[in-house]
Formats: sequence, structure tokens, C-alpha cells
Amino acid sequence: MDLKKPLRKRKINRMAKKWPLLLLVLFGIGNVMAQQKVSGTIKDPEGMFAAGVSVSERGTSNGVISNFDGEYEITVTSPNAVLVFSYVGFITQEIPVGNRNTIEVVFEENLQELSEVVVIGYGTQRREEVTSAIATVKSKDFIQGNVKDAAQLIQGKVAGLTVSAPSGDPTEGTQINLRGISSITGGTGPLVLVDGVPGSLNTVAPEDIESIDVLKDGSATAIYGTRGTNGVIIITTKKGNYSIKPTIEYNGYASVSTIANDLDFLDAGQLREKWAEGYSFNGANLQDFGSDTDWVDAITRNAYSQVHNLIFRGGSETTNLTASLNFRDIEGIFLKSDNKKYTGRVSVNHNMFDSRLKTNMGFIVSEQSFNTLGDGTSFNPYIYRQALIRNPTEPIKNEEGNWYERDVYFYDNPVGYIEETVGENRYRNVRFDASMSYDINDNLMVKGLYTRKGNSNIRGFYQTKNHVSTVKYGQDGFASRGTDDYIGNYGQITLDYDQKFGKHKVTGLIGYNYEDNTNEGFWATNRRFPTDGFTYNNIGSGQGLQEGEAGLGSYKNSDKLIAFFARVTYNFDERYLLMASLRHEGSSRFGNDNKWGSFPGVSVGWRVDQESFMENATWLDDLKLRAGFGVTGINAGDNYQALSGLTYGDYFLYDGQWIRELVPSRNANPNLRWEKKEEVNLGLDFGILNDRISGSVDYYNRRTKDALFNYSVPTPPYFYGTIAANVAEIKNTGLEFLLNVTPIKTDNFQWTANLTYSTNKNEIVSLSNDEFQLTNNFFDEGYTGEPIQISTHRVQEGQPLGNFFGLKSVDITDDGIWLIETPEGEIIPATESTTEDRQVLGNGLPQAYFSWNNTIAYKNWDFNLNLRGALDYQILNFSRMFYENPTISYNTLDSAYDRVYGKAVLNDVQRFVSYYVEDGDFLKIDNVTIGYTLPKNALKFTQSFRIYASGLNLATFTGYKGIDPEVNRDGLAPGNDDRDKYPSTTTFSLGINFTL
Amino acid sequence: MKNFINQMAFFRTKVLFLLIVVSTNLLFVGCTDLEEEVFSEVTEDSFVPGDSDIVAVMASAYTPLRYIMDWQGYFDLQEEPADMLITPTRPNGWDDGGTYKRMHFHEWDNTQWQPRNTWITCFNGINSVNRVILQIESGQLPVSEEQAVSITSEMRALRALYYSMLLDTHGNVPIIASYSDELPVQSPRSDVYDFVVAELTEVIPTLQENVDQSTYGRMTKWAAYHVLAKVFLNAEVYTGTAQWEKSLEACNMIIESGEYTLSSDYSDIFGANNEGNSEMVFAVPYDQIYAAGFGAHMKMMLPDHRLVFDMEAQPWGGSSCNPQFIDSYEPTDNRLGDTWLMGDQLNANDGSVVMTLTKEMPSIYNCDFTQGFRCGKYEIEPGATGSLNNDFPFLRYTDVLMMKAECLLRTGQGDVAAQIVTEVRERSFDNAEDALVTGAELQGDTTVRYGTLAEDGSIAEAGDRSPVPFGRFLDELGWEFAAEARRRTDLIRFGVYQTKNWYNHTPQGSHTTIFPIGLEELNTNTNLDQNPGY
Repeated sequence: MDLKKPLRKRKINRMAKKWPLLLLVLFGIGNVMAQQKVSGTIKDPEGMFAAGVSVSERGTSNGVISNFDGEYEITVTSPNAVLVFSYVGFITQEIPVGNRNTIEVVFEENLQELSEVVVIGYGTQRREEVTSAIATVKSKDFIQGNVKDAAQLIQGKVAGLTVSAPSGDPTEGTQINLRGISSITGGTGPLVLVDGVPGSLNTVAPEDIESIDVLKDGSATAIYGTRGTNGVIIITTKKGNYSIKPTIEYNGYASVSTIANDLDFLDAGQLREKWAEGYSFNGANLQDFGSDTDWVDAITRNAYSQVHNLIFRGGSETTNLTASLNFRDIEGIFLKSDNKKYTGRVSVNHNMFDSRLKTNMGFIVSEQSFNTLGDGTSFNPYIYRQALIRNPTEPIKNEEGNWYERDVYFYDNPVGYIEETVGENRYRNVRFDASMSYDINDNLMVKGLYTRKGNSNIRGFYQTKNHVSTVKYGQDGFASRGTDDYIGNYGQITLDYDQKFGKHKVTGLIGYNYEDNTNEGFWATNRRFPTDGFTYNNIGSGQGLQEGEAGLGSYKNSDKLIAFFARVTYNFDERYLLMASLRHEGSSRFGNDNKWGSFPGVSVGWRVDQESFMENATWLDDLKLRAGFGVTGINAGDNYQALSGLTYGDYFLYDGQWIRELVPSRNANPNLRWEKKEEVNLGLDFGILNDRISGSVDYYNRRTKDALFNYSVPTPPYFYGTIAANVAEIKNTGLEFLLNVTPIKTDNFQWTANLTYSTNKNEIVSLSNDEFQLTNNFFDEGYTGEPIQISTHRVQEGQPLGNFFGLKSVDITDDGIWLIETPEGEIIPATESTTEDRQVLGNGLPQAYFSWNNTIAYKNWDFNLNLRGALDYQILNFSRMFYENPTISYNTLDSAYDRVYGKAVLNDVQRFVSYYVEDGDFLKIDNVTIGYTLPKNALKFTQSFRIYASGLNLATFTGYKGIDPEVNRDGLAPGNDDRDKYPSTTTFSLGINFTL
Repeated sequence: MKNFINQMAFFRTKVLFLLIVVSTNLLFVGCTDLEEEVFSEVTEDSFVPGDSDIVAVMASAYTPLRYIMDWQGYFDLQEEPADMLITPTRPNGWDDGGTYKRMHFHEWDNTQWQPRNTWITCFNGINSVNRVILQIESGQLPVSEEQAVSITSEMRALRALYYSMLLDTHGNVPIIASYSDELPVQSPRSDVYDFVVAELTEVIPTLQENVDQSTYGRMTKWAAYHVLAKVFLNAEVYTGTAQWEKSLEACNMIIESGEYTLSSDYSDIFGANNEGNSEMVFAVPYDQIYAAGFGAHMKMMLPDHRLVFDMEAQPWGGSSCNPQFIDSYEPTDNRLGDTWLMGDQLNANDGSVVMTLTKEMPSIYNCDFTQGFRCGKYEIEPGATGSLNNDFPFLRYTDVLMMKAECLLRTGQGDVAAQIVTEVRERSFDNAEDALVTGAELQGDTTVRYGTLAEDGSIAEAGDRSPVPFGRFLDELGWEFAAEARRRTDLIRFGVYQTKNWYNHTPQGSHTTIFPIGLEELNTNTNLDQNPGY
């Protein structure tokens, strides 16, 4: 229920009532005696001129409204008159006129009222009335500088929400995890709503966002049913308002990024020293090729980026408009790594019939393009690996000017690989929104919303004839093209009710939701091109098609979600609060008898501070106890998993002809149903000493039942080895603390600090059900890749997710062979160990996260410092596991020649042993921003002007030896620091914001 | 003014009405319909198979066989634990978590991939066979009565082929003779043996007899007899009771059919265009474009063999031949050169020496790139990719003759056996006299000098050097069928596998003659018990 609405409506009704009065005042001016004209301008606390302010003479019906420039003019009847200035969100001021003709007014924010509005599912609520765990972050508290997406804006600001940026790839977003891993296959991605419609963290530009609300617990997210399990992130874009002065807002910055931390591989000099010391190598470092090349340096750069954002806003009493334009041109640290994006957004609101009918129309359009070094992917990890492992004495080019190449297994010149590859992905996203609401009477409102979304992309990729694909592998030029298209429809109808009966306040909501999604695509590859000149633009000119070497494919699929929902809230005397909701939702992805699921949520609150027995506790501003329970779901990840389908597969030689086999598409599971998560949330909100200290504590206990999982099944009876089924049960419990403190607050100096701390404990309760049974209560996950070729994690009943499972190294023999401690405590050489000797070596998921955000304002200066960290977890350092070994046939880390355990240099094959499982605990100085706002009137043409400098990912304090302890934590093998990971970056930005 | 207000009220009612109509429509006209719309696949419910779909459905029963020559497939399973192909650690890797060493040492556990892959290959095939039979029996496929009998027989024979492989590799496996939801129940090895024999015996009369393009790569009567002969040949291993006579009888059925002759040229059998070779009783057809999967050469050739054969792909260079086996060849036997790449490897374009392969392989822990002779038996065409065109000669006529010879030899007719062996040898010796062997010779000991090797190639630990009965005949099988995915079976039948030392291998006990059942399989099917000894 939109609680903002009655306020606004009240105001407008008041305005409407006063129009005749105003007319009377204006036209009747000559008839009134003892008149005194008073005029002036009204400003808000930020110095902006406030339009639409009601100015009235106390005790009379005389009143006017300020214009777009904040100007008003009123004629009062006597010098004893008192003028009342009132405006929503600000403290009402009463000023005696006396004999003045000019009264200038500067409003103060009514914090009590402003901080109150929280966006919940399908509506808003006053903060005081919220009974579940919801966090709100406003734009003024966002992380500043070169952020990857909307989630990074609130990194470290919300207890229990972990936002990390493990990849430095400018096309990659952040990783989000709310309250641990609650789903095995459902991932950790929350539902993202952009102005009420499902979207992504990239639907709108970060600079275009006004506030972000995070619904954390099940009682809050149950209204989103199927997709509520991983939480809901509600993005509210910057909006115009009625009766405001037109403004233009600019926000822009330029930044430079560098690699956060280098891996220390042997350079040419060090390699020559090793040879001189008597080391000899096979493969890459076989011999000295006479040059001195820093291969990583040869494929990286300082990355320069720029972002510009313009917002136009303006509005009359009945129509207002917001339009924004965003341009981002981001470079990555690798050559050809970039991301360019244009986003435009227009939103028009239109009021009719005394504001009873409200309409909104809008669209968001964006275009994005980036270079690709893999076929369809921005980053090609193979190239980075080649730069790391390449012999530093090799030249980049040979004497003839060709790329210097050798015939070594999986060993190609990384610079040539980049320079001889041409690729681009280009995306277009369109979204049309239309909504209409109508106040049937003061208590009832009906609202309809419809959105049509479309995304399309086209890809092109070409490897020239000088690329190793031809030089070594005879492709004779390789081209690939592809395109995908998405269309979605989203519609919703709601009926809102609110009513007050004495101390009872009731709101109700019923609604219907429809969503469909259709994806289709087409791709082709070809080779043997007559020239490099066409690159991928003339794919038919390749002869590979005639030779049977071309590839071709297309697909199309669709799904639907339909829901009915209802919610009631009840508020008794501002003391006892209740919210209950129910969603009944169906997904086309499930089996015929299991398509629909019901998701109830209920929460209660007790505002202790409002009780009469607390009346004397004036130091207490807020004390509320909350309790909630909710059921949410996870939709099946892929379409058609419940459906028995047939597909044409491999070829079979039949009477001299190749005929395609016809096989089942999958193990269909007609019993496939919702994955359900039940969550209990207990919370406490408090505020003391005029809210100088405030905060909240939340405890949650989530139990995921019928967790979807690609379960291993025997073949036969099954056709394939896995089936999507509702099998597992997972438990997550945790505590979240949020503390906001304002230690210093004077006229010129204010320091506010925000601290969060959250813990998470995870346990896999069960991996079997009646239908599917594991003989052992575990399965292995994660994979080291070649040449070690072993799993890294074990998922086991009774254990947390993320357990590393491998050989425990405790010592090394004099010959440099690992000594392994078996689970029975026996010490054996690794050469004699078997897979039976493996054990749990640690866990890749942090037990706790913390953050400490500081904002200091001194006169016109502002300063932000954000610290962030994670505790008590391990990382498997792949770089060391692969490269900290002198026996390998590629270039190695310098540390490969250090004595292991201080005893002997390693002389064993590459192995996954506990020596490479390191503690990941870290503290990061993540974001430092210093800004200066020009004094008012310093620049006549602007209303405000701020300049700032900002640094991201500035310093990390950790014992971890890899590039960055913030590694991949998604999926079932969290904590694997992949050796090919795009290194994270450190970024410095310089920016300007101003409003005209 | 009033008029305006009236109009407004009217309009307001209209808007309200419109909203209600639109919402009602949205709600009740098809908007609770969650039927899945399918575009790029066929739903089983709506599928009505036509004539062309009969082959397509049947095809799925054969395609799993292509995994034989794929990564860690049946080829590796039969060769890696035997005494020829060894994959030592090399400068570019090939430790791979110790997987090849475990195969060589016979120290695999239930996570070993090679046995699992063959298990999966066979049960995929068996599952598909059962599915085809069910579709025929239930009338889902539009087949005539005649077709129904012929296809069902062929499918059952194919299922018996898969079971003959499992009988040999895993022994105690579930017998699944129908397509159902039941969790399979394990059967003892002897029951699996009985099942294979009974099935083949039953379907042989109704199988196709013609040998031409239409039956190439399919289970004919003769292929069924071949499988039967092979199962009887190894009956002693499988059941404890030898069946030499029965094996001989099955071999004679194939020989007497007159459908097959020995290929005049040994190398032709393994050529890139070997389809239709006169020896092929049952081939697994591969094609670089249509039917990928023949990738065993990538594991055996060196990266630089790309230049030697003018290949498009760059092989990975792992496996090479145990020098002890190379030493066993008679010097005039052309099969040595037809099977192994040795010495100087010449550039295909300019004839320059790309590299020189040497016989010595110091240790499974440490070999250089060029140490060890590589298998060059399967022709590499210019432009060859990671997947060859060569068809895999799974069952070939020479094997029928050699099985017959072995049965004769073991039943006291050594001289007749020697005649057959001599006949087989003749195409591989320039001088017919060199090809001649006697029954007495074939009954003698093996010429392979078993024992573990020291780094310098000398015998480090001789181990059991007691004579191998009919060991010389085993050598003949080795020379003729080197790298044909069968050495393990032969070594077990001749008792070498579980008793002798070779290269870095020492015997680990007779339980190793069958592999453990995979962890994943045990994990998902509670009816399965691990094989004894694991």
C-alpha cells in the first residue's frame, strides 16, 4: 500500500481546495482593507528553490503556493498575521509577519517523516510499520566512483548482503549473496526489480538510481513467491515531481584502473639465474631464446574510463517528466578489453481528475558493445594463462616480423592471440512501461501495469590467418557469428485498500501477475576464408561450409509465470503491527500436477517505545521487536525439464548414409516442483539519543526443502546420468548487526559511521528423499582442470557447503615429494596416496562479514571511507598449485624454488594438497572518496556543484598470497581462486556533479 | 463548468469500466494457462514416428560404441593395464592426477574414469536397445511383423555385444532386459555369461546374413557368432569352465559362410578408408565430420607429428610402447613397422627430420617427449583433425581364424593351429619361410622378457618367470592385434595379467581381472555391491 499517496493526495486536495481561495485573493484584492504584501523565496535544506509550498495565513482561508522558482507572494490582512509554510517532508514553519514585506524561508528536513518510506513488494510502508528485515540505501550513501553495477553501489552497506567483484572484466558484474547459499542449483542471484518490474542490476545506469531497498527475510519476500528465496533488490530510479522547477543534473567521472596485484613469475633475468644454478626445464623454459619479455605487461595496460550521466527533470501540477542519458566507456586492463554502453530513459507522469487518475509512461533503451577475445566472450582466459606461463626469454615477434611461436603443448603467443583476433558483441535492450492507477474513493485504488521488454544481441568473431588457429592448426581463418533475441511481457493488476478506524489502521492488497519470456537465437561458424579482409562480415565466403567444417544452430524456448497474491497489514495504535501475505504462483517449467505453489508470509512487530510505560524514556527514539515467518521458492533453472522430449543427436551409418539418431532430450521429471525455503526472522530496531545511535539486529533461520538439484541417477533405468529433482535440504542460520552512529555533529562538522557485521552457518541436512537415494551421503564437486584432474570440494550431508576435500600435506621428503597425513593419521608419501586418503581441508565460505563505513562532512568538504572484510574461510590458490612447482614444463612462480616447509624444493608432480589451501581472511580499504561542494552562489548558473576524487579497491590486508582474497563464492565449489581469473583492479576516479 | 464536471464524471466512469474490462480479460482469458510451448524439440506425447524414424530410433543403440576410441574409453581400458601401451609423465604433463599410473600399476579405485566410461558406454547402449525393443513391442514404431523380428533380433545381439564387454570388464553387473523404471539388480558374472550365450544363441537364426553396405557396422549373424566365439573362448575366465569346442564351432560357422577373407595388406585394415575391408565382421564406423570420436591418436602421437603427417590438429603426445614388447618382435615381422612409429620422423613436406623417437622409456615417472615408440597403426591422413576417418575394426576375420587356432591349439591340435597362424602371418613377412610356425613353437613360452625395468632398461625385478602356457601364441596375438583394444583380455586368459612383472608394474592379485564398480554407480544404485577385492 502506497503510504506516500495519502500524504500527497492530502496535499493536492488541499491545494485544490485553495485554488478558489487564491483566485479570490487575487481578484478580490482591491476590496480588502489594511493589506500588507509579503513576498520571498523558499529554499530546501540543500539550497534548492522549493516549488509547490503551501503558504497560508494562520486562522484564515488565505493562502498561496510557491512557484517553480520558490517564489511566493501573499497579501495578509494585518501585521499580526502569522504565515504558515508547509511542505511534505519538511518541518512546517510558522513565521509572524510583523511589518516585513520580505520573508525568506529555508526549510529543514523532517527526518521523522522522510526516513520513513520503505519500498516493499507492490507498495511502500513507513519505516515504523515495517515488521520484516528490509534495508534501504539512498543515493547519498552510495559507493562513488567506477562501480560495476547497481549492487556495487550498496557494497558493505547492508548487513547480510555480500557484494563482491571478483573479476576485473569490465563486462562482468558483481557477485551477490544474501544470507548464505540457500539453493544448490538456484544460485544466489536475488530478484531485481527496477521500478517494480523484474530486470537486472544493469537495466538502468548506477548514476540514475535514487534508492535501493533490499528485502532480506522470507516474510518480506513471500509476496514475490517463486523468486523470493535469494532476496529481492528493489531499485527505484530518480524521479521528477509535480510542480518543480526544471533542472538538469550532470554526474560524470574519469578513472584509471590498474591490476590490483601482480603474480611474481620468473622474469628473463631470474630464469637465466635458474639455468645458471643448474636447473633445467622441458617445454616452455627449455632454453634461452635471447630476449627479455614481460608477457603480462605486453598484454595489459592502464585502463582509462569515462562515465557521463545527465538527468532532466521538470513538472507542472499535472504532468512531470524525467529523462536521463548515460554514457559509459570502460576499459579493462587487458588489451582490447572494454565495455561501452549508452542508456536512455524517459518517464512521464500524468495526473487527471483531481489526481484521481495517475498515469505513467516510460521507456528505457540501452545499447552496449564490447570487444571479444573469445568467441562471444569478452575475456579469453587462455590468453592470460599463456602470458603467465610463457618463457620470458622469447621475443614477441621473430626476425621476419611474424609472431614468435613454438610447438609446445597448449602454448601460444598471447600477444599474437590478441592482435590476430577481431570480435565484437553488441546488445540492444528496450523496455516500455505503462501504468495507470485510479482512486475509486479515498480508501480504494486500482492499478494496472504493463511492461514489454526486449533484448537482442549480435556477435561477430574472427581469427585471422596469422592467428595460431591457422598458423598451427590449419583453420585458414575462422569466423563466427551469432544472434540472440529475448521478448518478455509483464503485467500486473492490483487493488489497494486502506482505512483507519480510530486506533486501527488497516491496509489490504490483492493482485494478479503475469509474465512470459521467449528466447531464440541463431549462430554460424565457418573457416577456410579467401582473405582476412572480410573478417566475420562475409561468413559465406569461407569454404569450410562445403567441406563440412562449418557449424550452424538455432533455438527457441519460452516460459511463463502467473501469480495471484494478497496482503493485509494491521496497525493498532502505532504499537502492534501485523503483516500477512499469500502468493499463489504457477510456473510453466514444472510438471503438470506441480505447476502451482503457495507462498505465505506473516510478520508481527511491537513498537515498545510507543507504549505508555516508556513515555519517560525520552532518550529512546525507537525500539521495535519484529518476528516473521515466510515461505519462498526457486523456479527451475531451465525450461522443459519436466517434459519428455525427443531430439536428433549423433549420426549413425545406415546403408552407406549418415542418419541422425533420435533420442530423449533429457530424463524428464514430471514430479518437478518448487524448491521451497522456510525462513524465520527475529529482529530488533532501535534508536537512541535523537537517533545519534540507531541500528538493528536480525537473526534468521532458513531451511530450504525440496531443493532442486541435478541428481545423479543410475543408467539404466534412466537414459541419462542426471535428472533435475527436488531432493536436498539445506539449513542456513545467521545473525546480522547494523549500527549507525553519529559521534560528532556540529554545525560545521559531522561524522557518521555505519557498521555491519553478519554471520552465516550453513549445513546440508539431506541429499536424499524417498524417490532418490544416495548410497553415500556425499558427492564431489569442483575440478582442478588439467593436468591435476581431481575434484576440489565435497558436498556432504551434515557438513557445510564449500568444504575443500583433498590430500592433507604435512611435510616433504628430502627428495621433494609431498608427505600426506591420511585421515587415520598415518604419514605417507603422496606418490603412494589414493583418493581414499582425502579429507576436509577447509571451507571456502566466510563465516562472517563486516564493514565499517564512515562519512565525514566538514563545511563544504565531504569524506567517505569504507572498510570491508570477511573472516574465517579458506581459498584454494590455483596459481600456486599450478605454478609454484619447478618440475612443470612452463614458466613458474619465483616462489617455486623456495624450500617447502623450510626443508626441500618441491620435486613432485602438480597436486591438490592442503599446502595451497590458504586462509582468506581480509580487510579491505575499499572505497575512499573526498569531495568538495562549491559554496552557494559561487557559480551563478548552478544550484549545486561538487567535485570529488575516489578510489576503489585501494588496499587489502590479508595473509592470502594470491591476487585478491575476494574470489568466486558462487556455486558448489566456492573459494576456488581460478588461475585464469581476470585479475581484479584498483581504480581511481575524478568526478563532477552539478545541477543547473 | 457543470457540463465539464459531468463530462469528467462520465469519462471517469468510462476509464474505470475500461480498467475492469481489461483486468477481467487478463485474469480469465487464458491467463492461468501454464502449458509449455515447445519449439526446437519434439515432445514424446505428440510424436508420431514415420518410416525414417525407425532407423533414427535404432541408431541410438549403436552410437555409444563410438566412445571406444574416445578419451579414456574402452581402448584405454583394454590397453593401459596391459603390457604394451604406457603413459608416463612427460615434460608437458601426463601425470593427470596419477590416472595412467594407477592403470599401469593396477591400483585403480572406484573413482577411476576408464572403467566408469566403459560402464557408461555399455549401459547407454543397453538402455537404448531396450528402449527400441519396447517401442517395437508396444507398437509405437510403425514396423511390419518381419521388420519387428529382424530389428528385435539385431538389437538383442547388440545388447549381447555390450554385455560381452561388461562381462569381461566388470563381471558382476545388472542384467537389464527391458526398459523400465525398476532399479537394476546385480547379477553374478556366471549369470551374465549365461545371458549373453542364451541371447546370442536365440537370436542368431533370425539375424541378417548378407554382408554388404547395408549391414556394415551392424550386428549380423556372423558378428553374433563372433561375439559368441569370443565369450566361449574366455569362458574359463568368466565361469571356470573352458568352452574351446563351442568357440571353435562358432568360428567355423563364420568361416564356412565364406563371407570374409583375410585382407591382403595388413595396413589396409586400419586405413583411413577401411570401410568395406574384406576382414570386417563388425566395425565401428567413424567420420571426421559426421561421426567424431576416434581420438586415440591424439593421446599417442607427439605434438610434432602434426608436421610429420601434415595434420591439422596438434596431438598431445602421451602413450608409447613398452620396450619389452618391442623387443619381442621377430626382426623380419613387418607388423613391427606397420604398428609402431620408430626412429626418425620426417617432415611430410620437405623430408627433414622433425624428431627421432627412441625405444627406451626410463620410468613411468619421467620420460622425455621422444622416448618410446608411438602407435602408428591407424593411418593418419593429411589434414587429420582430433577425430579420424578410420573405422575401428572391432571384430575382424583374422580374429576368427586366431580364435579357431587357439581352440585347436588348446585342444591338442597344435599343428592345425600352426597352419592357420602361418596363414595369418604370411602377409606380414617378405619371406614366406619366416612366416612359418609350428605347433610346438606355439605351445612354448612367451618371448616377452617379463620383469620390471630399471631406468637403464635392464631388468630390475624379474618376478614370476615361470613359462606361460601357449605363451608363444599369446605373442602372436600381441603382434597381430597390438593396440586393438583387447590386450588386457588376452593377458588375463593366458594368466599373464595377474602374475607377471612388466615395465614398472608388479602383480596386484587376481581381483584386478575385473574392475571396481564406479563410486557414482554405487552411490546412485543401492542394489549394487562392489566387486570382490575392492
